[in-house]
Formats: sequence, C-alpha cells, structure tokens
Amino acid sequence: MAFTMRAVKVPPNSASMGEARHRVFDFFRQACRAIPSIMEIYNLDDVVTPAQLRASISQQIRKNQGVSDPKVIDMLLFNGMEELNNITEHAKQRHHIIGQYVVGHKGLVQDLEKDQGSSEFLKKFYTSNY
Amino acid sequence: MAAAALRPAILRHIRLSPAMAAPLVGATAAGQPLALARWLARPMSSHDAHLTRDEVVDRVLDVIKCHPKVDPSKVTPEAHFEKDLGLDSLDTVEVVMAIEEEFKLEIPDLEADKINSLPLAIEYVANHPMAG
Repeated sequence: MAFTMRAVKVPPNSASMGEARHRVFDFFRQACRAIPSIMEIYNLDDVVTPAQLRASISQQIRKNQGVSDPKVIDMLLFNGMEELNNITEHAKQRHHIIGQYVVGHKGLVQDLEKDQGSSEFLKKFYTSNY
Repeated sequence: MAAAALRPAILRHIRLSPAMAAPLVGATAAGQPLALARWLARPMSSHDAHLTRDEVVDRVLDVIKCHPKVDPSKVTPEAHFEKDLGLDSLDTVEVVMAIEEEFKLEIPDLEADKINSLPLAIEYVANHPMAG
C-alpha cells in the first residue's frame, strides 16, 4: 500500500527548463543511491557492477536528451520514479532487471545484426512487411 | 522472555580472553599496516582517521579513469570535468556518484552540484571527516 500511495503523489510541474533539469539530476542521484540495495535485493553481484548499472541508468536518461518541454520531462521523471519505486519495492523479478538494465538492448541488437549479415533470405525478410 | 532474562546472567560469567583477539590484530597488520597504526593511535575511534591527501588523490583519479567516456591519459589532478575531460552535466553527476560510492559518502545535492572539477572533488573528500 505504501508504495502505491507514494507513486500516486504528483509534484507540481516544473516552472522552468532549469528546474526540470535539476529534477532530472536529483532523480539520477536517487536512483544511483538505490543501486546497492537493488543489487542486494536481486542478487546482482555476480552479473553486474554498480558502475555498469549507473551507466545503464544514465543511458536511459540520455535517450530523452532532446526533450525541450518541461512538462514532458516531468512526465518522464514520473515514469522513471514509478519504475524506481517498483524496483526498490521488489515488485519485479531478477530477470526483469537483468533483461532491461544489464543485458539491455545491446544483446538483442547484436543478434539482429548477425542474422542480417549472414543470410540473404533474412535480409529480404526483415525489409519485407512481415 | 526467559531467554532474555537468562542472557545477561550468562554474559556476566563469560570472559573473553585477550589472547583470542591477538591473531585478528596480527592479520590486519599484515594486510594494511596503515590501518593498524590508526587503530593503535586511537582505538575504536572513527575520528582522526583521515585519509592522507595522496591516498585521496590516487583513489579519485582511479575512479575517474574507470569511467568509460574518459580518456585515462587526460586525467590529471587539475582537470575540469567538462572542459578538460569532455564530460557533460549528466556524466559529471555520474562521476560524483562514483566518488560517493568509492569513499562511502553521501554528498548533499547542493554540494554535489558545485563539484565540477577534480580539484574540488579532491578537496571535498579530503576535508570530509567520514571519508573512508
């Protein structure tokens, strides 16, 4: 119950781009400080280091680098905060974290590239409207 | 309840011999002579156990060099994160968080915002009483 209530609370919109920017850094710090407990909850010590998780979080933030509307940034921050709460409340399982933040998109992209290079049939298949 | 009452009664009759603690001290001495010297100077105290400045500089430089976007050859104790190392604002926050982790600190947000170069980071850690 506690975590749903926390997720429901919405802070007022950022007044300016500067404030939104500051909130992003605050969120990033909060996420980074949660890393040790996340690694403990999900038993991640043998698959990833705190530095890699930090890089993964900053990569997620960087995906939305081009956003210039403070309201949109607030919305993205809300989503991020919700995700962080879910993770720290152990609402996920180990493979969710590993799939999303440890292996990431890189694993999937690599497979895709390998297939595309090796087979003419697959190249045509990918460009067709399957 | 009964166990709780029994506990002090038992503890009163148990004496740990100092001989048992001796091998432990010896083991730490072999690993880190500096830590032992600090421990002997003021046993059980977390104060006055400051890191030396050289130690801080070395460890901060190591942390920065480990960051994937940093060219290790450019890292000097005088470098500015954004101007000299080519990091952006988010990288800077990331690096400061890495320093926090390395020295087991929690730098308040207002202070962390001001740290944008290696001299400032080294200064902050060296002056922090709880840096370890």
